[in-house]
Parts: sequence; structure tokens; C-alpha cells
Amino acid sequence: MSDTFLNLGLGFQTALSLENLMFCMFGVTLGTFVGVLPGIGALATISMCLPLTFYLDPVSAIIMLAGIFYGAQYGSSTASILLNLPGSAPAAVTCLDGYPMAQQGRSGVALFLTTIASFIGGSFSIMLMIVFAPMLASVAISFSSAEYFSIMVLALVAASTLSNGSFLKGVTMTAVGILLGLVGTDISSGTARFTFGSVTLSDGISLVALAMGLFGISEILTNLSRGNYTAIDPRSITLRSLIPTRADMRRFWPSSGRGTLIGSVVGILPGTGPTIATFMSYAAEKRIAKDSSIFGKGAIEGVAAPESANNSSVQAAFIPTLTLGIPGDAIMAVMLGALMLHGITPGPQLIINQPELFWGVIASFWIGNLFLLVLNIPMIGLWVRLLTVPYHILYPAMLFFICIGVYSVNNSSFDVLIALIFGVLGYGMMKFGFSPAPLLLGFVLGPLLEEHFRRALLLSRGDLTVFVMRPVSLLFLALTLLVLLLSMRWFRTLPRRFGRKALQRNE
Amino acid sequence: MKLITMTRRAAAASLLAMTGAAIAPAAVAQEDFPTKPVRILVPFGPGGLADITMRLAAEKFREILGQQFVVENHPGAGGVAAANELLKAEPDGHTLIVMSNGTTIATSLFETLGYDPQEQFAPISTLAWFDLGFFVNPESDYEELTDVVSYAQENPGMLNIGTINPGSTQNLSAEYFVAVTGIDANIITYRTSPDILAALIRGEIDLVFESPTAFASAMESGQAKILATTGSQRNPSLPDVPTAEQAGVEGYQVEGWNALWTLAGTPEPVIETLHEAIVEVANMPEIQERFAELNTRAQPLTPEEMAERFEADRAQWAQVIEDAGIETR
Repeated sequence: MSDTFLNLGLGFQTALSLENLMFCMFGVTLGTFVGVLPGIGALATISMCLPLTFYLDPVSAIIMLAGIFYGAQYGSSTASILLNLPGSAPAAVTCLDGYPMAQQGRSGVALFLTTIASFIGGSFSIMLMIVFAPMLASVAISFSSAEYFSIMVLALVAASTLSNGSFLKGVTMTAVGILLGLVGTDISSGTARFTFGSVTLSDGISLVALAMGLFGISEILTNLSRGNYTAIDPRSITLRSLIPTRADMRRFWPSSGRGTLIGSVVGILPGTGPTIATFMSYAAEKRIAKDSSIFGKGAIEGVAAPESANNSSVQAAFIPTLTLGIPGDAIMAVMLGALMLHGITPGPQLIINQPELFWGVIASFWIGNLFLLVLNIPMIGLWVRLLTVPYHILYPAMLFFICIGVYSVNNSSFDVLIALIFGVLGYGMMKFGFSPAPLLLGFVLGPLLEEHFRRALLLSRGDLTVFVMRPVSLLFLALTLLVLLLSMRWFRTLPRRFGRKALQRNE
Repeated sequence: MKLITMTRRAAAASLLAMTGAAIAPAAVAQEDFPTKPVRILVPFGPGGLADITMRLAAEKFREILGQQFVVENHPGAGGVAAANELLKAEPDGHTLIVMSNGTTIATSLFETLGYDPQEQFAPISTLAWFDLGFFVNPESDYEELTDVVSYAQENPGMLNIGTINPGSTQNLSAEYFVAVTGIDANIITYRTSPDILAALIRGEIDLVFESPTAFASAMESGQAKILATTGSQRNPSLPDVPTAEQAGVEGYQVEGWNALWTLAGTPEPVIETLHEAIVEVANMPEIQERFAELNTRAQPLTPEEMAERFEADRAQWAQVIEDAGIETR
């Protein structure tokens, strides 16, 4: 333990040097701005900044690039809350209650709370990293396809309550999402599915295009067809309107805490961490709420929990990257590339051979999160003013940014077309009361569920018991069963009925 | 639907342009090239081996030819996105495309690729050559490649081979290996190289086909052990590692390459200028050194040799795809 504090001291010494402080600040500021712009995400920015880092000390380089990454997570909630424009799957969860809050004129409160929630989530995960990094990394890597499959089953079942209103409509949308996710080349056999002979479709449908279309473009269409768009009066945005009430805060703290826990547990899993973490934490809030009907209509819990979960999982994603050299996603892979360009080999030896790099970067995370807090809160007033822009200027500008953002991911005009198609589809869905969130979840998790199921069976030579013979997998399947049972009324009333019977017998 | 008509229109336009170029041969004199920045279309995302080697070379082309060489990434299955960009351009040598052994696979793998590189594009030269490595877990008992083969022979269906996506060079190289050695093994596919590394560390797969570049840090940190390479000669960065043939697997050779091509119908002198530039760049000591750091080898080919190599690889992979019973898309 004393070692940890010694190391941490070294880390802060490195991170607090004037040069590193400046690069950290630059990174998080840039990250916040690109995060706010829909679509133009952290990946493109980090790739563009990569050549700049040739001229930097490796520690400064990673501090800056990492700052861009988690800075963008803070910023990404802004467009989701104000304009219903999610740039990623986790951000789509923030839309569910963040956007209704904005429509009720509580956008300031929503932005304030997401910033605090992000800070809590990020900070907790960093503490976790400091104490348990090496251990957590080996846990994360020991998860095989069977475990992944069971976790995804849990996520899908837990999130089946995501949609508002009809359960049947929610399930239908999840199924449609799974079908859309199957478009493209099957990872196990290489067979092209639902591509209708188009080679472009054999890469599948772009997630960014789908999310932007379903949420952003369909929202623009809905508002236009409603025809009664009223811009918010700039004078109504006072400092007071940004501050949450005491009742808000009472609901905020426990949700944020639960989101943080879920995020840090799920976040270390390479690849799917943030998406599963945000969807799961939202579903958990809805399950335990006394009145689940408030969700989707601007519930504080629906913003606090997923935002905390998102940031804690994002920060946790650095654990496998730095300690094992195994990046969980494309952004982490570019980050790894940056280290390798400097001749540093990320892996089990990193902590021992380069302690000032490892601990310096981790210390900088916390400093960066503090910067973001200071940076974002005064900015809220400015962002909220965005809503006062009249719609005949705002909507074309939004469409413009959506098109640029979607195009920039793959330099592909086909993706822009896809976004427009899903915009029209999303408009129709909204008209008939289907919500887009379960579709998105099915789209992301469906193909992964299939991939891991088939790979687990390939590895076990077709033996289905692999899912219950592996303890971690069994644990998650048991949790799934518990969630299912808890949602059934007869099971929840079981203890009461048993109690009554026992009482009668005693008499 | 829209996409297909666009492709057709672009193809028609380029055919028209080709006719134009044929009627007025060598209208562009050699000294007039390049007159504006040259685009290099890369059919992969940024950060990969093809992208990095092209960016290194582009800087040198600028020094030699006095114009900017701009690398553009158009990732997409079978290189279609990049090919469509090229087909929209004029056949004047100001738009180049990166072709790779992956393209030779794609021509057999996709039933309707939408473009025919051997008909519509013209070869200039290869730039980078690379091989693959056979990797195992350092804690396993495998000391040589033949150990793996004999394990698979004694335990049919028990050996797990890990590669990235079906239809990738790595994946088809594994299929080819299974065919050449006649072993019965499971080829299990993963999405990314890091996924494969994780699977190798937790002992879920026994043998990995991956480029030494992708596994460089894994080798250094002792997470993966290399048994052999697939090339015709030893990898200059790994002089102690035998090739598959040296390690006792007769008749097994896989070499990948990245090359520059342009539109068919580009005037001969322009192709000649570009070819000479590539030869000059490939022989620069600095480029040789940087490429070696990336576990790759800089080596040019003449346009004729390039065309032959493309056809030879195409035929080889078509055979592998047919033998392995892989469904075309």
C-alpha cells in the first residue's frame, strides 16, 4: 500500500510539471470542443494530433492524447442533451432523459449534473486503477467468449425495459436492431448477409450514421412537421435556472453512485465496456425506481447514472491498454500506436520499466478531470444559449454538422445516405410510438452476442454446458435469471405470501 | 441502387477518358508531370502498415517530383471505396491507388466487386513487402513449427488457430497452411489483432497467423513467441527466425505486398516517371531503415513484373478459396 502512495507521489510529480499541465489542459479543452460537435469524435482528432506528438516527450504526448479522449466524453453529452444528437452508442442513452429535460427548459440543470456525474465516475475509476490496475487487467483478459456471451445476455435482458410504453414495441425494436446489426460480413464464416450484392454494405451499417439518423435527423423532421417550434427566450436563462434544486440533488447522488459502480465493473472489458455500462446502468435505475414512468420524460436518474457509468468505464478502459498492451477499441489502438512510435512497449513491464510514465499518466487523468469540471461549468450558460438560435438557422446547421460528422468517420458519402434513410425511418417510428433506444441496443449487442456464442461453441467443440461450467459465465446467467424473476409480480410477492402462510401455521 | 448507377457512370466516364487518351497519345509530355498535387488513395484506415509506409514514401516523392503527395484514406470492403474514387479521376497520373495482396484476394472473394483492377488500373510498382509470423504462447510446449504440426496430426480437430476476419490474408494463409500440411484444425476468427493476442494469452488458441508488426510489442514483452515466418526468405528484422520452409513445412510460402497503381490509359511516360521515383525511394537507406523498423521490406518491381505477380497471387488465392470451400460474397 505504501508503495502505491510512493508511486502516486511520483505520478503527481510528473503530471504537475508545467509542461505536462499545459498539455493536459490543451488536450481536455480540445477534447471538449470536438466532443460537442456531433460525429467529429475523439478518434479523428487523436489521429490528426498523432504526428504532432513526434516532437513531444512520450509522457506529455500520452497525457495530451488521453485528455482529448476523456475530454470528448464530457463534451459528447452536450449535443445529446441540447439537440438529441448522439455521436456514439453510450451518448444515445443520455438522449433518453437529457433531451426531454432540455425541452422542459432544464437543459442547464442537465448539463450541470452530467458534468458532476462524469467527474464522479471518472474519479472513482481512477482510484480503482491506482489500487488494482495490474490485478484488474488480468481479470479482464481472462474473460473468454462464454463470459462475454453471458454478460451480453444480462445486458439485453436488463435493458428490455428501456422503451417507454408497450413492451411488445420494445421487443420488436430490439429485434429490428439485431437484424440491422447482422447486415454485412459474418465474422465467423465470412458469409455476406443482407447485403443484396452490394460490396459497400458488406462492411455493415455505420453505427454513427444509424445513431445520428435515428435520433438527430428524425428529431428535426418531427419538430418541423409539428410546426410549432418555439425558441427559448434568452432572458429566461438565468444563473439560477442552471442550479439544480435540493430535490434534484437528492435524486442525483445515489444514481450517480450506482452508475459509477456499474461503469467501473463493466468498463474494463475490452471493446464493449462503455455501451453495455451505460445501457445497464440506465436499466438498473429504471428497475429500482419507485415510479418508472418518469423515465424518458426528463428523469434526473436517467441522466446521472449513465453519465457516471460512461466516464468510469472510459477511464477503466485504459487499464488493459496500459498494463497488457491490449487496446479495447480503435481509440485505444491509436493511443497504443502513439506509445510504440516513441519506442515504448505497453505491456506487463510498463509499470516496472516506466513508472513515471504509467503513474504520471494516471495522475494526469485526475488533474484532467478537475480541469474539465472547471472548464465545463462556466461553459454551460454558453451552450444553453445554443437553444435560443432560431430554428431556420439551427436546423440547417445541425443537418450540416451531421453530414460532415457522418462523412468524416470513413470518408464515405454512402454513410451520409444511410443517416438520411434512418432519419426518415426514425421519424416514422416516432409517429407510431416506437422508441429508437432498444433498436440501437439490439444493433450493437446482437451481432456481438452471436459472435461470442458461436466462438464459445467453436472453442468447446459444440458443448453447450460451457456457459454454465465456467463460474463467471454462470454468475452472469444467474444474475440474468434474477432480473427476469424480479420483473415478475408473482415472484416479488412470494416472500409476503410465504410469510403469511407461516404466520397462519403458527396460530 | 444509387451506388451501382454511380459506379457505372464513373466507369463509363473513365472509359470515355481512356478513349480520349488513346486518340491523343502522349499529349502530356513527361516533363509536364506532375503539374498539381498527387492523391494517393489508401483503401485502409489510418495507422495500419500500408498507411504508414505510404505516408513515409509520400514525403520522399514530394522531394523527388516537387509536388505534394497527399495520402487519403478510403477504407471499405475489397477496396471498393478507394477504387470508386480512382475511377472518378482523370487518367493523367495525378491520382494513385494502393493495391495489395488483399486486392488479389478480393477479386476472387467478391462475386461482384464493381471494378476490375487488372482491366481498369495500370501497375506502377510495389513498395513494401511483408511476411506473416506463426505465433504461440511462450508457456506452451511448442519449440518449433513442426511440433505444432505433429500435435495436430496426433490430435485431429484439437488444434485451434486464431486469425482476424475471414477472407483476410492472415485467415487465408491459415487455410492454406491447413491444406499444405493436411492437418485437421479449427480456424477461429476474431475482430482485431489485440483480440487474438488476448485469446493467445489466456490459452484459448494454440497458433496465431499475424504480421510481426502487429505482434512486435507482444514479442518484446514475452506475451507471444514466434516460431517461423511465412516469407521466401528470413525477415531481416528477425534473422534468427526460420521461414516455414526452413522449419520443415515444404511448399508453404506467403508474402504480402503494397503497391502503387493508377488508372489504365495513363500515358506511358507518366508511369515511367512514377516508377523511377518509387525505385529511387525504395533504395534510399533512410526508407530501408524505417521500413525495417516496421518489419517490412522496401522493394520495387517493374510494371510488367507487378502485373505478373498480381495474376500469380490472384490464381493462388482463388485456389485456396476454392479448396477451403469458402463461400464467395
